[in-house]
Amino acid sequence: MKDLFFVGALPWWFILLIALGALALLIHQFLAFRQRLSPRQSWLLISLRGFVYALMLFFLLSPGLVEKRVTRLRRPLTVILDSSQSMGFPASSNQSRDGRPGQSRLDLAKEKLLEGKEPLMQKLAQNYDLRLYQFNTRLEALGPASLRQLAAQGKGTRLIEALKEAGRDGGAQAGIILFSDGIANGENRSMNESISFPVPIFAVGVGETQGYTDLRIADLSAPEFAFRGRELKIDLTVQAYGLAGKTVPLHFNRGRNLVSSRNLTIDRDPFEQRLTLSYTPKEIGPHSFTLSIPAQAGELITQNNQREFKVEVQRDKIRVLTLSGSPSWNYRFLRMALKQDPLIDLVSFVFLRTPTDSVDVPDSQLSLIPFPIDEIFLEELKNFDLIFFDDFSYRSYFNVLYLEKVRDFVRAGGGLAMLGGIRSFDSGGYAETPLREVLPVELDGKGNFSTGSALRGVLTASGKTHPITRLVPDLRANEEAWKKIPPLTSLNRVLRTKGEALLQAAPDGASAGPPLLTVGKFGKGRTLALLSDDFWRWNFVAVGEKESPQNHLKLIRQAVRWLAQEPSFEQVQITSITGSKTPGEKMDFKVRVVKDDFTPASHATVRLRVIGPEGEQIPIGDAPETEEGQYSAEFTPTREGPYRLEAEAHLADKLLGRDRKNFTAAFPFGELEDGRARPDFLQRIADASHGEFIPISEWNEKSLERVTEKLERFAPSQVEERRQIPLWNSLWIFTLLLLLLGSEWWMRRKWGLV
Amino acid sequence: MRFLSYGLLVAAGLLPKRVEASHPGEKDRPTPFVFAQIKYRGGDWNPHPLAVIPLMEELMQRTSVESAASRHEVNLMDLDLFSYPFLYMAGKYDFDPFTQEEIEILRRFLSYGGFLLADDALGQPGYGFDRSLSRELKRLFPEKELRRLPTGHAALRSYYLLRRIGGMRIVHPYLEGISVGSATPVIYCHNDLGGAWERDQLGNWLNPCTPGGEEQRRDAFHLGINLILYAMTENYKEDLIHVPFIRRRLSR
Repeated sequence: MKDLFFVGALPWWFILLIALGALALLIHQFLAFRQRLSPRQSWLLISLRGFVYALMLFFLLSPGLVEKRVTRLRRPLTVILDSSQSMGFPASSNQSRDGRPGQSRLDLAKEKLLEGKEPLMQKLAQNYDLRLYQFNTRLEALGPASLRQLAAQGKGTRLIEALKEAGRDGGAQAGIILFSDGIANGENRSMNESISFPVPIFAVGVGETQGYTDLRIADLSAPEFAFRGRELKIDLTVQAYGLAGKTVPLHFNRGRNLVSSRNLTIDRDPFEQRLTLSYTPKEIGPHSFTLSIPAQAGELITQNNQREFKVEVQRDKIRVLTLSGSPSWNYRFLRMALKQDPLIDLVSFVFLRTPTDSVDVPDSQLSLIPFPIDEIFLEELKNFDLIFFDDFSYRSYFNVLYLEKVRDFVRAGGGLAMLGGIRSFDSGGYAETPLREVLPVELDGKGNFSTGSALRGVLTASGKTHPITRLVPDLRANEEAWKKIPPLTSLNRVLRTKGEALLQAAPDGASAGPPLLTVGKFGKGRTLALLSDDFWRWNFVAVGEKESPQNHLKLIRQAVRWLAQEPSFEQVQITSITGSKTPGEKMDFKVRVVKDDFTPASHATVRLRVIGPEGEQIPIGDAPETEEGQYSAEFTPTREGPYRLEAEAHLADKLLGRDRKNFTAAFPFGELEDGRARPDFLQRIADASHGEFIPISEWNEKSLERVTEKLERFAPSQVEERRQIPLWNSLWIFTLLLLLLGSEWWMRRKWGLV
Repeated sequence: MRFLSYGLLVAAGLLPKRVEASHPGEKDRPTPFVFAQIKYRGGDWNPHPLAVIPLMEELMQRTSVESAASRHEVNLMDLDLFSYPFLYMAGKYDFDPFTQEEIEILRRFLSYGGFLLADDALGQPGYGFDRSLSRELKRLFPEKELRRLPTGHAALRSYYLLRRIGGMRIVHPYLEGISVGSATPVIYCHNDLGGAWERDQLGNWLNPCTPGGEEQRRDAFHLGINLILYAMTENYKEDLIHVPFIRRRLSR
């Protein structure tokens, strides 16, 4: 089929002007012909000339012919099926005749596509180049023959991502027909303006919202770390569907111990309530918590009624208790060091008066407070990280039995430092107390305290590298720093060192002497003995010698951290847990081990084990050494939940230390956390793509016609091809023009006008 | 009569215990607190030569602090100055300005944990010792001024709960001090504490305390003890654990 058209390159008024000029010329010529020719001849000539003028005017309009040809295409149409686990839930709350849950969402979708007199797949295949995909965490092409066997097993639903990928891959498509329950737990879990689709999406919603019954703990927010003694907050949302009118208990447990319980009244459907729970940890270390609501009748998913999480409780500050037998310069400068350290919380008692001291005023005029013996030793001791006995003897103040509490405190992981003086070590009578076995020096009751001789602190081999006496990182510079530190003038002599001597008290010029600073371990705790009561000289006398007081301050701070077992001072440290932390995928553990002198520990035996979500122990075995002092191992979690990694290192059968860290393995999608169908989300996808949302229950012939119409509008299946043929440059037209002009000229010549 | 009294006291075991200065190599003796007194040029650095021993006896008798019985005299240029973090400086008259080096040393001493108790034995504000001391303190801490210590200052609560400031005479019923951060490394008393403490070897007080008599002397001793304990414990009595006890007692 061909149609005439005009390009119209010249303005119409110009053509009209020319037409009027041509008409006037024709009239003028006709009148001229009439004077010399008969009317018939005049009319004939003027007709020929008028036809030529008309033809020329016609060409001024740039005429052409349009040739049209219609082609029918089979456009690509993509059908995508959601095969995530949630599609395995029943499509409807109605149960089958035998009382079992009804048909699954995926089975219902497959039925729509494959069953009936004329299955939908068949109908669509007639008019479209049909492409079939399934998706869950990935988009995969699906052969028509495989459709019947498709199972809902995907661990996640990357819905938006799958639709975008399908839209890109299909090239020029008619559209996408999506069968899904609308649950999306990929990177994009909601629609926003930045999400667009290149083709219309016809979203067929599978799964009912009415009649869906579920109770879930959602949006759990708990800190990974918390501080001892400080309240930690846990935020959560309880959602309920189909359970209006019920009252359910929410239990909050730490391990097996109930922390709190509260009843929630579900007064609407759907129900959602944001809650905040709190807990104040009193101990440091990993804490396992569980939030749970008992399963209710009719719930499809019960595993989302419970959430577990772990919190690592740390100290916010190192709590230090000092007991000083008397006001002293040692106390003064020890206090200065501890008070200046923002990481340290200091509680100190200085015994300003002994029982033999007499005062000349009533007690009410003294600022002295009674020493709360029972409160300190029976109740509060566990809340401290370490205790200093600073030239303090128990003998005048309390029964030796209280020192058993101190021994137990250290055995359980506390730190104990005994500083020298007339009231310390053997001079303080500690050889006959439970602290004898705790202290890192051997007491025999015969040791004494002497003053007067100038004694320098000389580093032992261990002291050169130990983190307490490492005042500067460089070993040689550290030794030089110690040589500049002023001498002391007092010393408690003991039988021998029991732990590890870091400093020896040597007279000027000597390189060795009795122990001055010794450290040790007792049970899980650490101990330190500094056998002098005037190491304040390392601060103030150094200042007088125009040296820095920092060495003294640093020594105390480092001793406190070491005694309190600050992680950076641990010999065994889990340095990293890397990997996706997804069940079924490999993870890497790295452990750093140092010897007692804090140099890398080669050839250590590093045993790792993992405690699983149910408390089950999963041994990993000995971790191989990858580089000096560095050990690593691999682990593959098998299921979701909180795990704890524990590392223990031995060197030559001696325990170097332990460390532990929590981690959580989880699929990144949380497919079974919330099985509620989301027709509203599918609606938004359809609207954003100019498609249509159709609940599967409403899918019928009419809806298919509507879909077809929309697909036709968006990408018609009939393609019209048009070809333009200009007429003015046609040879035939030019010949006709010559013929007309030639005939007119021949007549005029014949009739004697030329 | 005095000898008799002294003998009876010894017999009754009530004589305040005395501790001699420590000797090198001495065993099972505590490291004592040493009361160091600054010797300076000009004026009179030693208006009460016998003041310290009674105070040390009192300190030993009333508190758990073990002290050397006699004072240690020290120049600011002495190499062992920093072995004595407690310095006492007394005087009556104008004294020579410290050298710049002495000022630097004293500033360093007071900035890093040392303590200075200044005691005006003349009791004439604006004259003599007071004038010279004010001049030197201005050189030490140009940005700071001597200020009256509040009644709740830790120095007034470090052992006794002091409500009065003692001394040989009451020039000011308060102390003055220079604070650096949370500490007050310089405390200045105008009331001639040394005069109140001073006693001869037979136990006779050498100077009467006016107008308060023996009670005023007792206040001077209490203050001396408090200042020594303050120097060794700093603001220990401001720790939270002490506050409610002290408040309760002061409210009675």
